[in-house]
Amino acid sequence: MNFNFLSPIYLVGALGVAAPILIHLMTRRKKKHQRFSAIYLLLQSKNRAIKQSRPNRKFLLFIRCLAITLLSLAMANPIFSLGDSNNLGTKGPIAIVFILDDSYSMATQINQKSYYTRAVKALLDTNKSLPAKSTFSVVLASSPSRVLQQWTTVPKKAKNLLKSSQPSPRTTDIGAAIKKSLLLLKEVPQKNKLIYILTDRDKNGWNKEEFPPIKETTSYMFNIVDFSKMQHGINKAAVEHTEVKQEFLSNSRVIKVKVKTANLSQSKPIRKLKVSLWANGKKQTEGNLDIPINSSTEKEFSFPLGSNNSISGEVRIEDDSLLKDNLRFFSYQPDRTIKTLVVDGDPNTVEHQSETFYLERALNPFTSSLSNIEPTLSTLAELPKHNLFDYSVIILCNARNLPLGYEQELEKFVLRGGALFIALGNQVDAKFYNEKLGNILPVFLKSVHQVAMNDEPFRLLIKPSKHPVLKIFEEQTLEEMKSIEFQSIYSIVGRENSKFTTPIVFSNGLPALIESTTGKGKVLLFVSTIDRDWNNFPIQPTFLPWIQRWIKYSARGLDSLIQKELLVGESFDWRISPKNNKDYIVAPGGKIIIPPSVDGKIIFKDTYIPGVYQLYRNPRVSNLESKTSTPANLPYGAEPAGSFTVNIDTKESISTKISNEEINNLLPKANVIFSSGPQKTTLNKTNEDIPLFTYCMMLVGAMLLLEGWLVRNE
Amino acid sequence: MNKNKAIESDPEILSRIASLNVLATKLVEGLLSGNHRSRHTGSSVEFSDYKDYTPGDEIKHIDWKVAAKTDKHQIKQFEQSTNLKATILLDASGSMGYESSNPKTMSKMDYARTLVASLSYLFLKQYDAVGLSLFNESLISHVPPRSKPSHFKHILHELAVLSPNGVTKLESVIESMVERLPGRGMLILVSDFLTKETDVEKKLKLLVSRGLEVILFHVLDSDEVSFPFNGDVVFESLEDDSSIELDPADIREAYRQSIQEQIKYYRSHCAKLGIDYVFLETSTPLEQGLTYYLLQRKNLGKH
Repeated sequence: MNFNFLSPIYLVGALGVAAPILIHLMTRRKKKHQRFSAIYLLLQSKNRAIKQSRPNRKFLLFIRCLAITLLSLAMANPIFSLGDSNNLGTKGPIAIVFILDDSYSMATQINQKSYYTRAVKALLDTNKSLPAKSTFSVVLASSPSRVLQQWTTVPKKAKNLLKSSQPSPRTTDIGAAIKKSLLLLKEVPQKNKLIYILTDRDKNGWNKEEFPPIKETTSYMFNIVDFSKMQHGINKAAVEHTEVKQEFLSNSRVIKVKVKTANLSQSKPIRKLKVSLWANGKKQTEGNLDIPINSSTEKEFSFPLGSNNSISGEVRIEDDSLLKDNLRFFSYQPDRTIKTLVVDGDPNTVEHQSETFYLERALNPFTSSLSNIEPTLSTLAELPKHNLFDYSVIILCNARNLPLGYEQELEKFVLRGGALFIALGNQVDAKFYNEKLGNILPVFLKSVHQVAMNDEPFRLLIKPSKHPVLKIFEEQTLEEMKSIEFQSIYSIVGRENSKFTTPIVFSNGLPALIESTTGKGKVLLFVSTIDRDWNNFPIQPTFLPWIQRWIKYSARGLDSLIQKELLVGESFDWRISPKNNKDYIVAPGGKIIIPPSVDGKIIFKDTYIPGVYQLYRNPRVSNLESKTSTPANLPYGAEPAGSFTVNIDTKESISTKISNEEINNLLPKANVIFSSGPQKTTLNKTNEDIPLFTYCMMLVGAMLLLEGWLVRNE
Repeated sequence: MNKNKAIESDPEILSRIASLNVLATKLVEGLLSGNHRSRHTGSSVEFSDYKDYTPGDEIKHIDWKVAAKTDKHQIKQFEQSTNLKATILLDASGSMGYESSNPKTMSKMDYARTLVASLSYLFLKQYDAVGLSLFNESLISHVPPRSKPSHFKHILHELAVLSPNGVTKLESVIESMVERLPGRGMLILVSDFLTKETDVEKKLKLLVSRGLEVILFHVLDSDEVSFPFNGDVVFESLEDDSSIELDPADIREAYRQSIQEQIKYYRSHCAKLGIDYVFLETSTPLEQGLTYYLLQRKNLGKH
């Protein structure tokens, strides 16, 4: 049997009995003692008196106190249950570990009260009924499980912690929590040891691999209290996945978001589920989804891109009993405009014969700047007129040499973070390049290799690459690239102690493109021409993305801006930034964190809050900067470096319950008791629960009537 | 001792009784020569003893024959004979010890004491023999009837040392007394008659059948009649009853009815048996009650 109160705060009202007691004491007449001769006559007279003129004051007091007590009892909403949720099975002092499932599925609400709230209340109630000298601790069962309360005999300690706690956005791991509990139980001397699990029994949290060996659990008693009453399908739907991309090579700038939504019900299909898409705080679009039973549906939403600023958004579906899986966060960083200075070393009055004709069109294929690359054409003679630091990338196309002393300007530009792309050709003065550009060019230009008329042209060695530029090129595109013919190329040889890579080579092993880092900048050398003089690459369809991606990459516009999608609890790994840079993470809610770095990597593990995390990098680190790990503000000069999203793992949303048999299989030979947590709802009310509100109120009425009748007779 | 003194030094009552004595003496003397004599035949004055003459003694009482023989002046002493032997039976049970709530009123015991003393004095004044018996559940003491004036002191002493306690057992006491009482005497019963016994009238009948003249003085405190208490009161018994807590207002009427029924009971049965019944409330001045009674007797031609 179990006796619970839905609103125990009203029990305080029972203190109101002090009022009639006080009145009784204040108005109490002092008893006089009188010696008298004819007591037998008094007794006779008392028996003869038909009714007493005054009611028994103590009886009246009792009735009034009872009425007040019953009223406060009624307001506290007492529930009598024949089931015993506090079946501790022992009377002596015990050591009890409460495993509290705080996974997000425990946030499922029935009548505005979550499983978690009910579980916490049940925990505190059970705590109160523990035998004297018992000790307890609390382990949270969401992954990774952790001890919320170490061993204590003072229930108040845990009460404050638990009252302020909420379900976490994590998944359940009961096995790990049991392991932790067993370790805790080894620390205490009590003979009676109990593991008390308060959970919704979602099957995904009971992984056999995580459970301790059988021999460790046999001697313990388990009490598993289910707060979901094994109900499936209360949680209707969940947003499982979002994928964001930008429409490429189209006339309009559009962001497309593919949303995958699951129907979690095993019995009812979902009709016209409302889905809305929010970005930067505004609703962008919405739609309806029909999802068959126990399956997922994908739908693509699109909305126009307003600016090149980063997008933080979420997909929301209409509310059901579990709100946490009804939204999913996404972020996207559209390409930013890269100002590029294109130096034409072989200009021509006939436009299409100019060295930069194909390049310019590839970089900016439409009249409006949709590629985010803004090329500016210049001849060698005009070069000194330009301020190099206005540009992110400088492309030298078949440039013979540089104006006098300009190589130093170019060197400064690269050292400070500028990108230099050099394409060669018949105008190039190899001697100048080898002598003057030694500080930024890691190779010597050796000689021009030209293919004879009937000989096989040079071809690129095509293979899948993990290079940030090349990784998007898939099978068909790679096949197309095999057809590119190179008639002439420069052979190169590396300088002493120089460092460079060759992301692209020819089939004969000669380097096609080399990449090196100088200072904060990047230098790329393409050993052929960027027009059709030495190859047919510019007229190939792959030329456009190939050159755009190299330009964006060199200007840190590609992949340097981090975009990652993580699940709650997964660590965020980030290649450490160049020397003297400092990195910042702005968590959802605005908290600024300086992530710790280990072995050249930043590993950020505190990803327990779902949302969009913004990354910032400050290239100008000063000594005045805050040394705390959580500064109040971002320092001046910190630049956006990307973002990553953290979303819940929707496997926790699936409300398939683990059966008693399955649990017994996981805990063989252990003494396991199953019970249901109190569920004072109309939906889940069982025959065992008897609400006593009406009875209490009826008794209050009866008491008041009796009191009135007695007083009236006075 | 104080009570004894109070009685002895209560000149007011005693003097009033003495002033009443004039009428009483006349009445007694009248009765002795009339109805009284015819009813109770007594003996003449009898010699009792000699004693040495002391100045102040009446010369006529000197026995000259003895003086002639012994040359000593001896005074003849005589015992006054009487026609009436009265026994006063005084209730000394606990209930008689009730102290009135009104401090100005004499307590029931004192009232009864004074009454007994006054009656004794009256009898002795008339040369009647008077005795005193005290009782509760049994006889506590017994002073046999004597007519000597000095006998009054014995009676007063008994009254002085009297301390009320015990339970009233009137029936058994009367039963035990019947044999001791002189035939055709007088029995004066002074009590509050607060007893649970129900056959008192049978015992009274027994007394009457023995030829005794019986007078009942029913003495009650005013509180016992009017029951004036208020508030929550725990009544503690003066005898052997257990305490009772009640609001007097609840039972006032019923109580008054009960006590009046009891008075009525004794009055009616006494009337049937030819017993004088005198109800005295302590708030009534004793002389007033006594005078009223004696006058009533005179009018009826008794004593």
